[in-house]
Amino acid sequence: MKSAITISVCLLLIVVFGSFNLTLEKRVDNFTLRNVNGKNVSTQDYKDAKGFIVIFTCNHCPFAKLYTNRFNELNTKYSNLNVPLIAINSMDTLMYEEETFELMQLKAKKEKFNFPYLQDLTQAVGKLFEAQHTPMAFVIWKENNEWIIKYKGAVDDNGAHPKLANSYISKAVDELLNGKPVSNSETESFGCAIFYRK
Amino acid sequence: MNLMYKINKIMRNSLLILGLIILFNSNASAQSYNTLWIPDTLTGTNFNLTIKDTFAQIVNTGNQTITGGINNKFWGPTLFINQGQTVHMNVTNNLNDSTTIHWHGMHLPAVMDGGPHQVIPPGTLWQPYWNVTNKAGTYWYHPHLHEMTLEHVTKGIGGFIIVRDAEESALNLPRKYGVDDIPIVLTSRRYDANNQFVTQATTYGDYMLTNGTPDAAVSLPKQWVRLRILNAEIERGYNLGFSDNRTFYIISNDGGLLNAPVAVTRVKLMVGERIEILVNLSNDLVGTSLNLKAYNSGQTFGFPGGEPASAGQFGSLLNNVDFNVLHINVAATTANPVTSLPATLANNSYWTANDATVSRSITITNGNAGGPAFNFDNQSFQLNYINKTVNLNTIEKWTVTNNNIFGHTFHIHDVQFKIVDRNGNANGVGNYESGWKDVMYVPKGESVSFVAKFDDYADAIHPFMYHCHFSNHEDDGMMGQFVVTDINSVNEISKEEIPITLFPNPAHDKLFVEFKNQAQSAYYVSIKDFLGRTKLMLPQPYLKDGIDISSLSKGVYTISITEKGSKQVVTKTFIVN
Repeated sequence: MKSAITISVCLLLIVVFGSFNLTLEKRVDNFTLRNVNGKNVSTQDYKDAKGFIVIFTCNHCPFAKLYTNRFNELNTKYSNLNVPLIAINSMDTLMYEEETFELMQLKAKKEKFNFPYLQDLTQAVGKLFEAQHTPMAFVIWKENNEWIIKYKGAVDDNGAHPKLANSYISKAVDELLNGKPVSNSETESFGCAIFYRK
Repeated sequence: MNLMYKINKIMRNSLLILGLIILFNSNASAQSYNTLWIPDTLTGTNFNLTIKDTFAQIVNTGNQTITGGINNKFWGPTLFINQGQTVHMNVTNNLNDSTTIHWHGMHLPAVMDGGPHQVIPPGTLWQPYWNVTNKAGTYWYHPHLHEMTLEHVTKGIGGFIIVRDAEESALNLPRKYGVDDIPIVLTSRRYDANNQFVTQATTYGDYMLTNGTPDAAVSLPKQWVRLRILNAEIERGYNLGFSDNRTFYIISNDGGLLNAPVAVTRVKLMVGERIEILVNLSNDLVGTSLNLKAYNSGQTFGFPGGEPASAGQFGSLLNNVDFNVLHINVAATTANPVTSLPATLANNSYWTANDATVSRSITITNGNAGGPAFNFDNQSFQLNYINKTVNLNTIEKWTVTNNNIFGHTFHIHDVQFKIVDRNGNANGVGNYESGWKDVMYVPKGESVSFVAKFDDYADAIHPFMYHCHFSNHEDDGMMGQFVVTDINSVNEISKEEIPITLFPNPAHDKLFVEFKNQAQSAYYVSIKDFLGRTKLMLPQPYLKDGIDISSLSKGVYTISITEKGSKQVVTKTFIVN
């Protein structure tokens, strides 16, 4: 009886993990969004990119505000390794005036973003990634000419104290650059909820 | 390969949870405490309250917890207001979500009450105001958005309101805020492996947060001290007492002072309720300590937090155990200490059951596993359905019967009431609950009656709420609503145009609205920008001095004015330059 229960639990775990894996390693299409400099940015523009660090963030969320320097540092380090960082704002601008394009421009300038800060006005890209919060991070990787989500969740494990933080993003990208699977492919994201218009 | 990574991840998370449990347990065993946070104060008649998403380092190590606060990182400022004054609230919602703020216990117009109908969208300024008629006491404010109350309350949004009046001020009571007069808000939280509050499938917290402080300690002077205690939990009740079983004295219930202090060694304080107690520390040695504790072990089933499970939806590490809520260190006596307990406090004249001309019965129904959620009279809350109509100035007796599976707390807006019987027995009402109340505990297997007078504020449109104050129950529909109507008033039903002049247009700092018919006035004004975002919500605004539009940026706006008598809405456009 005990062994039957154990086998059942194992089968259940396999089914659950299998479905998790399918969910996580989903393909995402190329996307094009308007950058704060007014020009469109597309994943297809980056011919040499092995992957992207895609961060969903926004203007007003206090927890997301903690991460600007870390985003700059991640982009400095990994864009040289052909894994650039792209930040996307999918917040509903009708609901939150503070998320308008003009205020995105001001923020990027004031905080000296060294990465594209794209407005997802229709929220289509946020829906594509199923982004839930700001900040929420994804690593997508090119496999067979397709973008596959290899990591999703938090940027790291300490918002207010970067020096104490373990960077989930760095670890995932380093593993992928070394040809290894991502050992911690999904973590909990939290911050400000992204509400999608129906 | 992937399976192994997943198993590793699960094991890592499990170890993290175990680590957190050990951390909390080791803190308790080492008796290390954190200084009790005392909320800031705001005084006067104009109060600026900004509700916001924020974060706080609540768990000692690891990530910060996403919280909500009012002018703060958790909870909000204590508002000191005086009876007889008109107070103006400037509530800005900078949350990432709509919410409401309800002024719990306040007697005020329904349209100012902050119930589920007064939804404040993100980025909106809501400006209710009212003349304070409540007696001196400890009240509070908290979110009340239907189906979202639990989430917003769990984030930490709320605050105390302390009302002063002449009767209370004449008494020799401790009232040095934060020194010998201490506000204490009791809550607990459950954390996930990333230090975030758990709100799904969770009824109880695992760890005490007293004023948002884990393992809280406070230094109190060697004299008589006053504790204003609020149970702001989701469900948990507290059977409060001191670790040395000393006698303490209840001086106030939800709605103000009792006629005389009531001596107790234990008192149950259920969700939404407040008590003020006096404790004599003058015989304690400086440097000694004692604990205010919840003696929650061994409660009969139905007591919220008495369930035996330590985990799961209805379980908690704090269930069915005795635990500390506040560690008290006795410090030096202050100048001009209070040295004695007043023999009498107030001269309340309470309504009796015989005063009531209308009787109503409410039965707690449902809540069984697999069936409908808890509700009243088999009817769940509907935003557009008025359950009861009360005539202005009537004194009514409401009886709430709970032959159901669990205890609840019943809260009614607008009024303070007097509990007149438990199970039909007037002597069943405890001395500890003998004052003015706005929340009452309705244990499993009891019916409880109160009497209240519904005076001052008639409004046939805007309802007040009555509900279980367990926010999960309220979110699930254990709520009803009532309007107070004035049978003597003439309800103008007019389809005629409401002539209104708007000036100047374009406007800058002030916008003036003038009704051509001087018998007409504004019931509600809302201003939206050209994209339809609500910017200002003004219930029954004073229009003579103009509407302050200085917070609006340049652009085109629409103003919607609901006329008071006819409830017709007039919409006009104006420009801010």
